[in-house]
Amino acid sequence: MKLRQASSVAEAAPASNSLLLAGGTEVVPLLRAGILEADELIDVRAAVPRGIDGRTIGAGTTLAELEASAEVPDALREACRLAASPQLRNTGTLAGNLLQSTRCWYWRLKWPCRLHGGDECFAREGEHREHAVFANDFCASAHPSDVAAALLALDATLETSLRTMPVAELYRVPTEEDRRTTALEPGELLLSVELPEVERSVYLKAMERKRWAFPLVGVAASRSGATTRIALAGVAPVPWLLDEGGLEAATPLPKNAYKLEIATALVKRARAQLDAS
Amino acid sequence: MARLIRTEKEVEGRYEEVWIVVEEDALEQWPEGPLRVVGRPATRADGPLRARGEATYTADLRLNGMLHTAVLRSPHAHARVERIDLAPALALPGVHAAIGPDDLDVLVTECGFEGAPVAAVCADTLAQAQAAVAAIDVELTVLEPLLDPDEAVARGALLGEPRVRTRGDAERGLAEADVVVSGEFRTSPVLHNSMETHQAVVQWVGDSVDVYISTQFIWGVREEVAEKLGLPQDKVRVVCDYMGGGFGSKNSPDDHTFIAAELAKRTGRPVKCALTRREEHLAAGNRNATIQRLTVGAKEDGTLTALVGEYVNAVGWGGWSSPVEGPMHLLYTCPNVRSTTHAAKLNAPPMKAFRAPGFVEGTFGLEALLDELASKLGVDPLELRRRNHTEQDPSDDRPFSGKNLLECYRRAEPHWERRHEVRARSTDVVKRGVGMASQIWYGGGGPPSYAWVRVGSDGRATVVTAMQDIGTGTKTAMAQIAAEELGVPLEHVTVSAGDSSRGPYASISAGSSTTPSMGPAVRAAAADARRQIEEIAEQRGDPDMPLADVVALLEDGQILGKGARGPNPAGMQVLTFGVQVAEVAVDVETGEIWVDRVAAVHDVGRVINPLGAASQIEGGIIQGVGHTLSEERLHDPRSGQILTTSFESYRLPTIADVPEIVSELVDVPDRHLTNLGSKGLGEPPIVPTAAAIANAIRDATGADVRRLPISREEMLRALREAEQRQREGERREAPAGV
Repeated sequence: MKLRQASSVAEAAPASNSLLLAGGTEVVPLLRAGILEADELIDVRAAVPRGIDGRTIGAGTTLAELEASAEVPDALREACRLAASPQLRNTGTLAGNLLQSTRCWYWRLKWPCRLHGGDECFAREGEHREHAVFANDFCASAHPSDVAAALLALDATLETSLRTMPVAELYRVPTEEDRRTTALEPGELLLSVELPEVERSVYLKAMERKRWAFPLVGVAASRSGATTRIALAGVAPVPWLLDEGGLEAATPLPKNAYKLEIATALVKRARAQLDAS
Repeated sequence: MARLIRTEKEVEGRYEEVWIVVEEDALEQWPEGPLRVVGRPATRADGPLRARGEATYTADLRLNGMLHTAVLRSPHAHARVERIDLAPALALPGVHAAIGPDDLDVLVTECGFEGAPVAAVCADTLAQAQAAVAAIDVELTVLEPLLDPDEAVARGALLGEPRVRTRGDAERGLAEADVVVSGEFRTSPVLHNSMETHQAVVQWVGDSVDVYISTQFIWGVREEVAEKLGLPQDKVRVVCDYMGGGFGSKNSPDDHTFIAAELAKRTGRPVKCALTRREEHLAAGNRNATIQRLTVGAKEDGTLTALVGEYVNAVGWGGWSSPVEGPMHLLYTCPNVRSTTHAAKLNAPPMKAFRAPGFVEGTFGLEALLDELASKLGVDPLELRRRNHTEQDPSDDRPFSGKNLLECYRRAEPHWERRHEVRARSTDVVKRGVGMASQIWYGGGGPPSYAWVRVGSDGRATVVTAMQDIGTGTKTAMAQIAAEELGVPLEHVTVSAGDSSRGPYASISAGSSTTPSMGPAVRAAAADARRQIEEIAEQRGDPDMPLADVVALLEDGQILGKGARGPNPAGMQVLTFGVQVAEVAVDVETGEIWVDRVAAVHDVGRVINPLGAASQIEGGIIQGVGHTLSEERLHDPRSGQILTTSFESYRLPTIADVPEIVSELVDVPDRHLTNLGSKGLGEPPIVPTAAAIANAIRDATGADVRRLPISREEMLRALREAEQRQREGERREAPAGV
């Protein structure tokens, strides 16, 4: 396998069997597990903006940099602080975090599940205690990104090498016809994130150990005038924006209804924190 | 004079009668309390070497021409190999040999668990070996797996007969009870996950074989390898200089060693076979799951009248049935006890001993149910334990060689008293409480074990014994004992260990037995050397002549002392005891648990190295916290395939999960046990941790957790159940002030 360094977006254009790599904390383990394959890795760190400039954040900014920045809204900063471990946050980037794959153990172990093109969701009939409670009919995988939930609650906008779009449009619930989990085109690069002004925001997370675990439930919330946006991590195949249906609309599986108890408590707390002056 | 005697030997609660040769050991025990070297904190003699990466572990070995091995393992929990062709593997670059089920009996065609070894390939590099394994042409038929322990018992799929143990009349005891409480407890499979994975390098030297192995038992490996290869034991040399943890999973050579030996024989090269971390999650052993259906009967005052247990050990495809019922039979004076323990044979990876096997699981169930009893009776949980304290082994009335559990309880009182203050810090959402649990376990060690001590004219001493230090600091403790006995500074003693060709037989490092087995032999050897030095001094007409002056006369001469571990006290039960007090906080809305503090007071006789002892207690409690809150090997409920094969999904505690740990040791020599009065401490600290945490959760919230690990799901389930019960008013409130 070759490693090529791209110094511009143009140079980062991938060939047919190459992969883009920044921090590598997601891509390298997936290569090792044989889930991803490539002849060439393209290091895009010199091609993708890095750093925080007012409300614009370079997609190559590390989680550790976000966590330490006073300019970043509370929800995003806290989502970064509660993600992964210090070593991973020192390396992992904002874009890499947004584009990470599910931690569904069946998918990670390469079971021939629907996300891998098969015709069964093994988690639905099997071990799904950490899986989705929303939109889990076709695939019960849970989206693991704390940061994505925070950006969804913050109503962030993404700039890619091809277009500008709301963060919600980056993600798609996989379907029988189209198993993809993001809307990115081949070779499309995430370049930056634009955050609208919010008055307050918060991120709360429940996990099975105190640090270095993916969210069982993560709750991000933001307030801007009369508008409150609440988004959840770890509860659906995509970061989940809580709409009017709220948590009542969930479709938990036999062994993961407890997630809704946690979500109920965290949503209540998140609202209370937004309300507190 | 040497004597051949018959004596009882115990390892991890399993007894056998053995013949041993012992020398008369007329040494009096040292006086109680810290001495000049023994009983004083000593840093690890090999600490800097380990920290600098200079210590050579088996994993570090790079012998000339050494080949690397990859193993083809069953991807299914239950499968049959219909056909296997190794030729495609042999055709690949770098490959030197490939073996399958026809070549070696540890390679199987009947695969009873995911990870069962089917074939193996050795090559110049590990990557080449792995590529070759992937190329093996194998046809498997997937068979229906048996995964449910209760179903296995019902179908008679058992490893051995059910173990029934009774004393008194349990039915009568229950009839006499004023209060009866019952509960079903479950524990999950957890993994040893040693830092150094299981591995061996095997090299044939003429008609002998050298085995470099990460092991807890050099001499056991020597015996098993010799038997397997049809060699005299002296033709097998076993080396383990530094070792990266075992926790009970490295007591035997295991499949990987036999695979390496066979491939080494075929290639004439040194061959390494090392498990990957993924393989370690599948095929390196585990603490098996248990189901415990328990009933306790007691009088109004808390006096136990009956203890009844129906246990299922979900052993897996192989292994043995750990003494999960042990605490029920040993801990309290209850006159009527009955237990049945089934060993379910399942399509799951075989169990192995794991740090107090059975007793960790059994203590969780028993001590949690006793707290439910205390709560129901309105009796202080610590007082309940005191009322049922036993002065002799309640199962056979043997006296204990030494028991200071009441002293442990007394010293735990200040920690227990904190519960009022801790509870008072509860809020509507975060409830706080304190729980305790008692510890009982073996740890007396036993013969045979031998040591030599060599003193040179420079006054420096070397302890020579072919024991292993599995990372516990054994070498340091042995140096302390020799330095104390010889009257020389600790820095003047070196310990030579880790090689069966360089020293006498030494104990297994399992069952908390290394210090109590090896320590007395080392002291006896040092005393033998000291005696010779004193005799020379006397011959020189100056009985008070300092050691340094006597040995200075030796020039190239040496003083050689030898010592043996004597028998354990006849007719006595040798056990370790203790108590732990845990403080927790529980978020009753989200089920989050914080273990804030664990105080541990243990009685293991004389403490050789208080610093090493504190480390053992801390390590045991940290591992216990993992087993209690976050660690669990998961499998797919339909196929039985393992889902947690990395540290991402199998969750060891991080430092953020570790509570404040306060440890204390009674440190009184067991006056009946050996010339030291020391017992082992490797296992005791992990025994009561889960139960103490579960009981603290009950104290905080009123919820009865019944399953380990206490996941969010289990915590929330128990909380809702407690709310339901409270609504129905089933439970008498514990009086305030208890």
